[in-house]
Amino acid sequence: MKRFLAFFSMLILGIAFVSFTLSQTGSPSAQMPDNVKAAVDKACFACHNTASQNAKAKEKLDFSTLSGLAKAAQIGKYREIGETIENGEMPPKKFLDNYPDKKLTAEESKLLIKWAEGEVKNLMKK
Amino acid sequence: MKKFRIAGLILAGIFIVLQFFQPELNRSGLGDNSILAKEKLPEPVAAMLKHSCFDCHSNQTNYPWYDRIAPASWLVAHHVKEGKKQLNFSDWGSKDVIDKITELGKIGDEVKSGNMPIPSYVMIHRDAKLSKEQTEELIAWTVKFSEELLAKEE
Repeated sequence: MKRFLAFFSMLILGIAFVSFTLSQTGSPSAQMPDNVKAAVDKACFACHNTASQNAKAKEKLDFSTLSGLAKAAQIGKYREIGETIENGEMPPKKFLDNYPDKKLTAEESKLLIKWAEGEVKNLMKK
Repeated sequence: MKKFRIAGLILAGIFIVLQFFQPELNRSGLGDNSILAKEKLPEPVAAMLKHSCFDCHSNQTNYPWYDRIAPASWLVAHHVKEGKKQLNFSDWGSKDVIDKITELGKIGDEVKSGNMPIPSYVMIHRDAKLSKEQTEELIAWTVKFSEELLAKEE
C-alpha cells in the first residue's frame, strides 16, 4: 500500500512537472491553422522558441515572438521559412539523423511553404 | 640531405606550375543594377558594404596580391562563387521588394551572429573588419531600410 502511494505521488509530481515545462515553453504565438501548427510543432518549434536551448536557432527564428516583430521583419522571416523548407535545409540533417520521425512529409512541406507565402502576401496587403 | 633538396625542388616546381592554373577573376564591375547604383545609402553603410561584403557578394572582387597566388586563389574563387550564390549585391535591382526585405533581414542576422564577414576572411583582409559600433549601425540600417522599402510599396 505504501509502495503504491509512493508510486502514485511520483506520478502526480511527474505530470505536474511535465505540464509546468510545457506551459513554460508555450506554443507558437502566431495564429496558425491547426494543420500548420501541427507541422510546426512537430518539426520546428522545439528549437525555434524563446525557451530553446539552441541559441543559434532561436536567434534566427523564434515562433513565440514572430508576430511581435515589425512588419518588414515578419515578411522577411516568413519568406525565409518558405525558402528554407523549399530548399530542404530545415529541419537540419543532423537533427533528422537523431529524430527521423521529425522529418516533414512532402504534404507537410508543401503546406508550410504555401502557408508561409500566404503570410507574406497577407502582410504585404495590410 | 640531398633527398631534402630534391624534395624541396620538386615542391617549388609544383608551386610554380600551379601558378599557370588560375581561376577566372570576378571583375566584371559592380554594375548598373547594383545596390549602390539603385539605392541611396547612407555613406557609412555604403563604405561598410564595399569594404566588408562586396569581395564575395558582388561582381567586383578586389584581389590583393596574396589572393592571386595558387592555391589561395582557388580558395578565394570558391568563396566568391558561394558568396554570390547566397547574395549578389550586383543583382539588387532585379529583386522585388519582398526579396529585398528578406535579404536585409538575413544580412542583419548574419552580421549579428558574427557569421559574416567570415572570420577567416577578416583575419587576412584587415580592413574588412567591422567594429562593434559599425556592426550595430549596419544592423540598424537593415531594419530601417526594410521598413522604408515597405512603406514606399504601400
